[in-house]
Amino acid sequence: MGNRLKGRNAVVTGAGRGIGKAVAVALAEEGANVVVCDLGVAVDGSGTDQSPADQTAAECRKYGGKAIAQFGNVSSFSDAEAAIKSCVDTFGRIDILCNIAGIDKPKMIWNMTEQEWDQVVGVHLKGTFNFIRHAAPLMREQKYGRIINCTSEAWLGGVTHLNYGAAKGGITTLTWGAAQELGPSGVTVNAICPRAKTRMTDDPKVREMVVKRVEKGLMDPSVLKRMDREMVDPSAFARIVVFLASDDAALINGQVFLTTALTIARYSKPEAAWQVENPAEGPWTLEAIKAGFSADKLLKGYVNPAPPKPEEKK
Amino acid sequence: MGERLKGRSALVTGAGRGIGKAVALALAEQGANILVCDLGVAMDGTGCDQGPADDTVKECRSLGVKAAAYYADVSDFKATEQMVRACVSNYGSMDILCNIAGILRPKMIFNMSEEDWDRVLAVHLKGTWNLCRHASVVMRQQRYGRIVNCTSEAYAGTVGHTNYAAAKGGIVSLTYAIAREMGRYGVTCNAFAPRARTRLSVGDDQDQGLQRRIEAGLISEERLKGMEETRREGADPEHFAPFIAYLASDAAANINGCVFVTSRATIGIWNHPNVIRKFTRGWEIEEKWGIEELEKRVPEELLVDYVNPAPPRD
Repeated sequence: MGNRLKGRNAVVTGAGRGIGKAVAVALAEEGANVVVCDLGVAVDGSGTDQSPADQTAAECRKYGGKAIAQFGNVSSFSDAEAAIKSCVDTFGRIDILCNIAGIDKPKMIWNMTEQEWDQVVGVHLKGTFNFIRHAAPLMREQKYGRIINCTSEAWLGGVTHLNYGAAKGGITTLTWGAAQELGPSGVTVNAICPRAKTRMTDDPKVREMVVKRVEKGLMDPSVLKRMDREMVDPSAFARIVVFLASDDAALINGQVFLTTALTIARYSKPEAAWQVENPAEGPWTLEAIKAGFSADKLLKGYVNPAPPKPEEKK
Repeated sequence: MGERLKGRSALVTGAGRGIGKAVALALAEQGANILVCDLGVAMDGTGCDQGPADDTVKECRSLGVKAAAYYADVSDFKATEQMVRACVSNYGSMDILCNIAGILRPKMIFNMSEEDWDRVLAVHLKGTWNLCRHASVVMRQQRYGRIVNCTSEAYAGTVGHTNYAAAKGGIVSLTYAIAREMGRYGVTCNAFAPRARTRLSVGDDQDQGLQRRIEAGLISEERLKGMEETRREGADPEHFAPFIAYLASDAAANINGCVFVTSRATIGIWNHPNVIRKFTRGWEIEEKWGIEELEKRVPEELLVDYVNPAPPRD
């Protein structure tokens, strides 16, 4: 309980359950009024249910602030506009935007359907754009705003769900770009990469697999220990969002944070690590290129993430 | 001229002009047969013209290889399936896929229309996924394949076209994931960020846009340096196109999941964003992260060497 966000108004998407709910409640605990956006869909995006959003709104109100539920599809440009408008109409303005809504439809690329791609990218990436797009003009005008997006470690290679990984990569870049465009107007844009137990990650099979590997001595026991300690309710780290939304974080902009019950970390930005110069004036020759690809030049420290299986090599 | 890709067949999107054309010719120079895919649109994605693809086909043929033109929209899932089929039925296999097609619709995020977002994301991100999706089936059966995607330094954050940048960020994540999913089947997937003079990078509009961003102090020195190299006289894509032929060759069988920056003078490799600063607490602590703890530790421990990319202006 505190007053750090007293008088601030927040829109939180995906706030009906999981990370979104933990974030909404944490903001309310510090005095913020909250628009709880959630369509109440299943993990794969199907169905609708108003009760998760209603329950979160009721929980937020316990802390003394105001809260309303808002049911819309984040991938709809006009629904996003309506959600931002309801915040302004109900509470007077919008100070904080948290884009947390997400779905998952895992498939290997060669089996993925067009719909599985479109829907996952639609909810995560387009959804995040939609809300920023409608909040940004208001935040610029009032010279104040805090935007916190939810990305994922899958951004760095989302095997078995590259729709999800690609959408999260888009969100990471959108965070960096929007931070540069909106920073001068007193608006910060940051992202979190959460590790927590939610509907999306709570898979007993994953734990069983790790237990087996530890028993066989293939995996260090500390991996299981860490997993059990990190696969907990997201309220464990939800206050990092409160911090990013508070006045203390006015100068923290364009950053990506890993957040777990155990660790909070900051990511580097991608940059050229090694480079070679063209030894000639004309086009690169294949010989010059090949010479650059040595273990002491471009491939310094490089490990092939998935080398061909020898028996399957053509 | 060489024979490094003799007997290989390649599908190159956006091959009618600019970087795509230079890549198609570099592959043809090494003996590959080419399916030249280009709808011949204007820079913003409007209109269509068969001329550019036809011209590239003629130039490829003059190098002694087979080539055919294919006019279709890369953002169309079904059309891209036909495209991949055409490559297999024309040349007997589909060994190399280069996703170069791209359009540009620059706007600040607070002025961007839904259509400007959708079209740019559809051509770059969905278009790249579409072709990878259909090619992955063929390449997995062949136990052989080379995928090279075109990203941009804008992936690391840029001002004035978050749609383009977010799509390019999604392409980087897609590249990382495909590398991991397909590597074991003898398929590599890499990406490159080109610095070259093309319709997209040089022109009156681009000059004015860049000038405005420099004056507004919205552009980092490093990015400006890159853009100057991109726009420099003589920075034609032909100079580094042999690099793509190299990635497609047998010599690069073990280069997978990398992102390169390529120019007339320099070839560089990008690092993988990683945790650079972190703080952790003991296993035994069960309580949520406390807000006071975060207020102290985030600035002191995570923000070492941090520079705000766009601080607020008075």
